[in-house]
Amino acid sequence: MPNKDNGNPNANNEAWRNELQQVGFVRRLFQARKWYGADWWFVAISTAMVFGFIFVALFPQWLAPYRFDTIVGTSFLAPGEYPDLPMLITRTDSPTNSLQDLAVGANADRPVIGAIRGSPSAVAINEQSQIVDEQLVSGNSGLRLRPRIERYVTIPALLDAITAGEVAAGVANESEFEEYSGDYPELHSGTTISGGTATAGGFVMGTNDIGQDVLSRLIWGTRVAIVIGFSSSIISLLIGLPLGLLAGYFSGKADRTLSLVMDSLYAFPGLILAIAITAVLGPSIYNVIVAIAVLYIPTYYRIVRGQTMTVKEEVFIEAAQSIGARRWEILWRYVFPNVIPSVAIIFSINVADAILTGAGLSFLGLGLPPTIADWGIDLARGQRHIQTAWWLITFPGTAIMLIVLAFTMMGEGLMEIFNPKLRER
Amino acid sequence: MTPIGLIFCIVGVPFLILLVYIMITGSTGLRRYIITRIGLTLPMVFIMGSMVFFIMHVLPGDPITSALGPKATPEIVENIRESLGLNEPLIVQYGVFLKNMITLDFGNSLVGGHRPIIDEMSERFPATLELVIPAAILALMIGIIGGTFAAAKRKTARDYSLRIYSVIIYSLPIFWFGLMLQLLFGVVLGWFPISGRIDPVIGTTLEHVTNIYSIDAFISRNWLALYSVIRHLVLPTLTLGLILSGVFLRMTRINVIETLQTDYIAAARARGIREHAVVYQHALKNAMIPVITLIGLQVAILLAGAVLTETIFSWPGMGSYLVLRISARDYNAVQSVITMFALLVAFISLAVDIIYSLLDPRVKY
Repeated sequence: MPNKDNGNPNANNEAWRNELQQVGFVRRLFQARKWYGADWWFVAISTAMVFGFIFVALFPQWLAPYRFDTIVGTSFLAPGEYPDLPMLITRTDSPTNSLQDLAVGANADRPVIGAIRGSPSAVAINEQSQIVDEQLVSGNSGLRLRPRIERYVTIPALLDAITAGEVAAGVANESEFEEYSGDYPELHSGTTISGGTATAGGFVMGTNDIGQDVLSRLIWGTRVAIVIGFSSSIISLLIGLPLGLLAGYFSGKADRTLSLVMDSLYAFPGLILAIAITAVLGPSIYNVIVAIAVLYIPTYYRIVRGQTMTVKEEVFIEAAQSIGARRWEILWRYVFPNVIPSVAIIFSINVADAILTGAGLSFLGLGLPPTIADWGIDLARGQRHIQTAWWLITFPGTAIMLIVLAFTMMGEGLMEIFNPKLRER
Repeated sequence: MTPIGLIFCIVGVPFLILLVYIMITGSTGLRRYIITRIGLTLPMVFIMGSMVFFIMHVLPGDPITSALGPKATPEIVENIRESLGLNEPLIVQYGVFLKNMITLDFGNSLVGGHRPIIDEMSERFPATLELVIPAAILALMIGIIGGTFAAAKRKTARDYSLRIYSVIIYSLPIFWFGLMLQLLFGVVLGWFPISGRIDPVIGTTLEHVTNIYSIDAFISRNWLALYSVIRHLVLPTLTLGLILSGVFLRMTRINVIETLQTDYIAAARARGIREHAVVYQHALKNAMIPVITLIGLQVAILLAGAVLTETIFSWPGMGSYLVLRISARDYNAVQSVITMFALLVAFISLAVDIIYSLLDPRVKY
């Protein structure tokens, strides 16, 4: 808490006020720590979070383990759960370890591989051996892999057949094999049929309904959120700020009409207006940005106009007028700099709002085309599987919350620091 | 009588009587204020309507072609455009649109039965009311109690934690918060149902009078139905109410802090009144006045939040109707629902301002 070191808090206040007069903006921020207590931490933590999110948005390819649209595992894997992949099962004394080892010359006898009738692993072995075969053909090695698939009804029947040497190898899911592996000490699982080792998988945040990595989509989705947040806020800033300055400075009939329009726009439920605009324009990221930008023009307009009207009455403006400064000069050199702090605060909170609205639009299926990695779209997809897969909705939502929290907290903290009056009231 | 008419009678008629009473007995200043306020609402409604018209008619994009799909022949498209009056000059369409907005005659929907849109809306509007009113009450209760408490304990750990609560709750995406409540209380714990307004079996026993199910169940003394309705209401109300409570909490906190620094509070303290009474009886009353104005502004956020909440909980209200009709590309209905929302916002903020003027004797126009 501030003021502990001094018996007279007012004297202490005077001291820092004097100090405040002398220091520049950056030192002011650092000095703020002394008397703002928790608010300084608000700003420090949220600024770190904001820069972190911007970094993630700039370089998702460095951070994400996979691309957002590649299918990397089986669907609905829980966080940390290993994918139950089909394994190649052979005798321990057999040299065969992967599918490639089964390849033979073009005219030799085709190898026989055992599988469980109707199981996913039986489908997978067909597909995978075709892929391997194509690789062999294009590699001109003279080898081919065109196995005959022998189908069995139960796992023990398959494992018995491998033990007896009826088939060169068998295919079963890892978990199925592990259940019986104790009874067949002479068998072992080689690699997965696609070549990797099974336990290398596992996804920090699980996989979604079509087997994409939730974490990777989350990281790539940061880009969409940041792009929507910043570009729509910048557009509304560029329109709202000049309008507000002009209306506040040259008040008159035009100001009153414009204010009425802006007030109506402000009163309109934002999300519903954005829904209408995107519904008419169609789903695309540009349309979302335009729709959200329109919503926040009145916010800038109102604040800047109010601020300008207050600043206009200050003594230093009068002084500038008396030394013959022109109106535009006063507006640009004396009024505008005084408006910047509040615009910075609004901008920060506005980015947060824009991200929320954008996510809301894509949650409703209106904002973005469904191929884009976006948190709102992921949430909407996850809602359909709420009964089975909690991780599909938990993580994207947490990401939205954190990014919005970062920008809101930054705005809040800036508000306290830029405006000591608010704090001392 | 349609449900919407009934609601108008319950809410609107007393308000009109109040208005007439104020106009007869009120002071000149108050009367002038109310007339000016109404005078400002009318252009606002007009501008909002024009914005809707601009979005739906002037922006690029042909809703009719996209509604009918690629198989529709040009003649069919032409016929529908003709019947909707879309081939008229824009200015004529604009006139027709404004006339329809004033008479609340929105024409028929383009899909599913082609019923009058106003009928479809009046079936769904009570559902929205049933969701929005308890949520607003919840938000106000949490906001006022929490905000006053935080202000009284300013700069303590309790104040900071309440402020962090308000920032976090403001940052929560409402649709995600709803989903998490569904996950926790609906799926994992199984305490509350996660969709709909009433158990479908019990629903058949309910007489529909106002279409506000809790009132219907209460009138017909159908306690089983009332129980089911309340159970279905819990999660949506919590979602909407908690999300909104953050704003009210902050607003109340700031206003109570400001009020606590005024002279009359210093005087009250000097007279030796207990701090508790100073905060909760002397300061709170005056601090509430600006908070009431805020309610008017929050109506917009409340309605936008209702759209998302209704979508998550399959709540058959205006918001889910809007989303449903957008995906069906029923552009006539979309336009009407959005116009209806604009009208609602304008008139509720008018009502709030008039109530405000009664509470705060300082209001002068």
